[in-house]
Amino acid sequence: MNAPSKFRYISTDRRVREDRRFVVGKGRYIADLAAEGMLHVALVASQHAAANIKSIDASKALAMPGVHAVIDGAELAAASEPLMNGLDTPNVRRHPLAVGATRYMGEWVAAVVADTRALAEDAAELVEVEYEALPFVIDAEEAYTPASTPVHPAHGSNVLLDRVFNWGDIDEHFAASERQLSLRVTWGRNSTVPIETFGVLAQWDPWGQVLDVRASIQMPKYADQIARALRLPMNGVRVHYDVDVGGSYGVKRGIKHSVLVGYLARKLGRPVRLIEDRLENMRSGDAHGPERIFDIDVAFNSDGVINSMKMRALDNAGAYAGRAPFQLGKPIGAIVGPYRIKSVRYHAVSVTTNKAVEEAVRGFGQSPTNYAIETMVDRVAEAVGLDKVEVRRRNLIRKEEFPYLIPSGTRYDSGDYHAVIDKTLAHVGWRELVAERDALRARGLLAGIGIAACLEPSGGNSSFEPLLNPKNTTTTWMESCRLNVDALGTVNVAIHTTSSGQGHETLVATAVGEALEIDPDKIRVTRPDSLSSLPGNSPVGSRMAIMLGGAAFHAAQKLKAKIVAIAARRLGCAPEAAVYREGAVFHGDREVSWDDIVTIAHRHFHELPEGAEPGLESTYIMQTPTGLELPTADGRVQMYPCHSFEFHVVLVVIDPDLGKPELRRYVIGHDCGTVINPHIVKGMTLGGIAHGIGATLLEEFVYDAEGQMMSQSFMDYLMPSAHEVPRVEIVHHCTPSPLTVFGQKGSGESGYLGAPAAVSGAINDATRPLGVRFNKLPIRVGALADAVADAREQRKDSAP
Amino acid sequence: MKAAPFEYSRPSSVAEACELLTRDEDARIIAGGQTLVPMMAMRLARPTRLVDIARIPELAFIRDDSDAIVVGGATRQAALERHASLAARLPLLARALPWVGHAATRNRGTVGGSIANADPAAEIPLVLVTLDGSIRARSTRDDKVIAADDLFEGPMATALALDACLTEVRFPTWSHARMGSAFQEISARHGDFAYVSAAAQVALDGDGKCVACAIGVGGATAAPTRLKAASAALLGGRLDDAATREAIAAEIAALDIMIDPHASPAYRRRVAVTLAHRVVIAAHDEALSRTPA
Repeated sequence: MNAPSKFRYISTDRRVREDRRFVVGKGRYIADLAAEGMLHVALVASQHAAANIKSIDASKALAMPGVHAVIDGAELAAASEPLMNGLDTPNVRRHPLAVGATRYMGEWVAAVVADTRALAEDAAELVEVEYEALPFVIDAEEAYTPASTPVHPAHGSNVLLDRVFNWGDIDEHFAASERQLSLRVTWGRNSTVPIETFGVLAQWDPWGQVLDVRASIQMPKYADQIARALRLPMNGVRVHYDVDVGGSYGVKRGIKHSVLVGYLARKLGRPVRLIEDRLENMRSGDAHGPERIFDIDVAFNSDGVINSMKMRALDNAGAYAGRAPFQLGKPIGAIVGPYRIKSVRYHAVSVTTNKAVEEAVRGFGQSPTNYAIETMVDRVAEAVGLDKVEVRRRNLIRKEEFPYLIPSGTRYDSGDYHAVIDKTLAHVGWRELVAERDALRARGLLAGIGIAACLEPSGGNSSFEPLLNPKNTTTTWMESCRLNVDALGTVNVAIHTTSSGQGHETLVATAVGEALEIDPDKIRVTRPDSLSSLPGNSPVGSRMAIMLGGAAFHAAQKLKAKIVAIAARRLGCAPEAAVYREGAVFHGDREVSWDDIVTIAHRHFHELPEGAEPGLESTYIMQTPTGLELPTADGRVQMYPCHSFEFHVVLVVIDPDLGKPELRRYVIGHDCGTVINPHIVKGMTLGGIAHGIGATLLEEFVYDAEGQMMSQSFMDYLMPSAHEVPRVEIVHHCTPSPLTVFGQKGSGESGYLGAPAAVSGAINDATRPLGVRFNKLPIRVGALADAVADAREQRKDSAP
Repeated sequence: MKAAPFEYSRPSSVAEACELLTRDEDARIIAGGQTLVPMMAMRLARPTRLVDIARIPELAFIRDDSDAIVVGGATRQAALERHASLAARLPLLARALPWVGHAATRNRGTVGGSIANADPAAEIPLVLVTLDGSIRARSTRDDKVIAADDLFEGPMATALALDACLTEVRFPTWSHARMGSAFQEISARHGDFAYVSAAAQVALDGDGKCVACAIGVGGATAAPTRLKAASAALLGGRLDDAATREAIAAEIAALDIMIDPHASPAYRRRVAVTLAHRVVIAAHDEALSRTPA
């Protein structure tokens, strides 16, 4: 750390309180929850890329003992509203079970409810569905053409979003630049694929008229969406947040599952649980990440200074809309990366295809965008014949320029990119690393160094919603916290969301402990259900350190003010003259202790200040620090408030005959402002890098030309293991954010946002002497080796 | 991902197991279950009955014969990996076993199971073919020895009858003083099925001339392939680099290479030559480092 700590608990080496229950295997996940008389669901899935449903005959399934119901899309659609679309695309209707037609392989056609999951699967095999195969489209470029078969005929085309943003004097900057180049890079369809698949348990209480929902969820407005879809009042849905979520990083949205199970629980009067199996999760969990083609034109000078960029991003959203197209919007808040690019044309296109539905994935579109930007900067360096670190240095925003307004309307809060890079390269030993690479090359190996300088926008607000959907005028994306000091003086903090590994209990205990100057381990953190909760938007957009940490801190400050007011009355002084310290309040040499204050608040109304309510409680509903305005007509908007920075350095070695990249060295310089808990940030960063390595080298949901999904299990969808992920060295730097209570920024997406750019850059550096380039992720062993072999063959042929 | 309904039997003898297999042609043997259980969970395999041989005492043994190590069909891979004489007597197998799945799967997976499953990329079948080993298979009809050469017929296909139980596996040992071996493979991740694997065992005389040579490649072809012509060509010589590569390349050029989405046939053919060449050279170098008898 570069700054001496002014904190008592923040940034200190303290245990993550959640780890205790996870490490001993006492987490409480959806599969650990059962209700008396609970029934189980299995799905009947379409095997067609697109088809009309001619008939569904469930009679054989229903005849099986232990089978309680088989429902189809028609029945469910009659009793529910279509699921929410992010964009204004009312004719792209999405229901939990297909209605009339199926639009991707694996789509759910019917749900079978039985005494056990195994029985439900047996019965699902007996449901006879007659299909009529329909034309389909798999490729995004093809889907973008007017002649393509629309996935939703009522929508009229496959285009969900097609908008060109012009920020700044693009044409002028292009005309004035000495050089230009164009490139295309493609981000393959991958996701986060947590070990725990999505699961939901719903129970209808007919006497209380309330639907109790427990789910492994990470979803903003989850209760709202269930209520709307099932036509229940929102206070007729009670979501329980005290469920541990076994991994998510965006994808645990499960809204179709939840609406389906909620309906079944009401219909059958029994608790119903659906936990996806791996096949359902991979092919029909509606949880694939972005699949994106970037076409870039960049204008720059011979000294490597980049002036302007034109980027078209074409995203393959899959068969339905959901929130996925917004993943083209969030990167607008960091569309120039950490660079002083003066103007940008951004053409955002989202199309439907007959693939599984895209959902939010770690970074919400930022990692693919960073990969495109960083590959572009590498190309510029190559074109002007300069070192790629030097070209970055020449383009990076300087620390004295913050707050820095980028062309698309977002102001970056703070940063010191040059310092992070210098510090990281000093740690690496840059010259030695280059020498090591060259020595490896001299031994006949392919060796390359990759770097990436990337931003993590954090503190998620909703600015991309009104930007991409004019009917959406949301300008708040609040988060809340409530504190209560009980009658015996212990502190209780309520948070209003589930957590999927982010350590929110540690976060709020640390923030409240810091504010109240009391040991965080003595603070109880609880999760009331949604009916007892204050408004919030769940852990998305790398926001909770900023928003939940901020709400907890502010709630504690309010509480402290009450405490001081109570004590001041006993001390006979003005509250301003009293001093709060470690739970007690002082005036001169006189003190009112914590216990005394608790006694007054809970038992001595006669001692309370005039107008004070008894008890010691406070709540704080925090608005995001930025994003308070609607977008301008030309599409400029303040996106996320805070901007973490990361700088990756990777050395890759490849045996040219075998083609398997070995990551010999991995160093990341990381600046997320004030770190609240170092262990949590480290875990996020290491996991993010592993995730990025997977996206670069291994992970892809592959569809064949017939629309059949080829990677439906971990046999074919390859996740990096401990063997593939190298030891990572982390270099810390701290540039506090001026917009947050402790100077903290987000870190939930760290590592993942730069690893693909860096690893891909290293491979390209390794194969550059052969004239071989890889512009598409993932870069697979076989393809890499084949390209190298071809290049060597050509060299041999052309040699004299 | 729940298996379709099935019956389960746990016989206490091979005779009883064979009896159960005879009675139901859709019954299948289960031993370690590391392949069969996931296949059943995905309902890609639907046996009517599982005959669990994992606890039959006569199938779990490792025996040091004078010219071979003989392993019971249901012996765990991990047990073989830890067998005291393995590194000295069957160094090629000792080098191959750590590549079989992961430590956790080797604790459950059996030696016979890997062979009966006959994945083209599996390591134990490759070693068995390379060393020209054999298996013994018993049914209610007969009890016969099948040479490795005759056993593997293609991906997941063997000469084992459906009602037969693989009772033992015979890995021949060599007695040469100057012997070396090597095993290499390439896959996307450690523990995955190999795109290509290669095994070699080489013995030299006091002058450094090759007196015995076994080379095999896996993953590239529908079943593990012993490079007999290349092995024969190298006998009697001193294994120079270029000649070795040429002999291997010539034989691999004539092989039918598998086609699947994970790696191109060109890749598999090229890498088969590279790895086979590398393992022969490594085995040769190791043999050369040993003192003549």
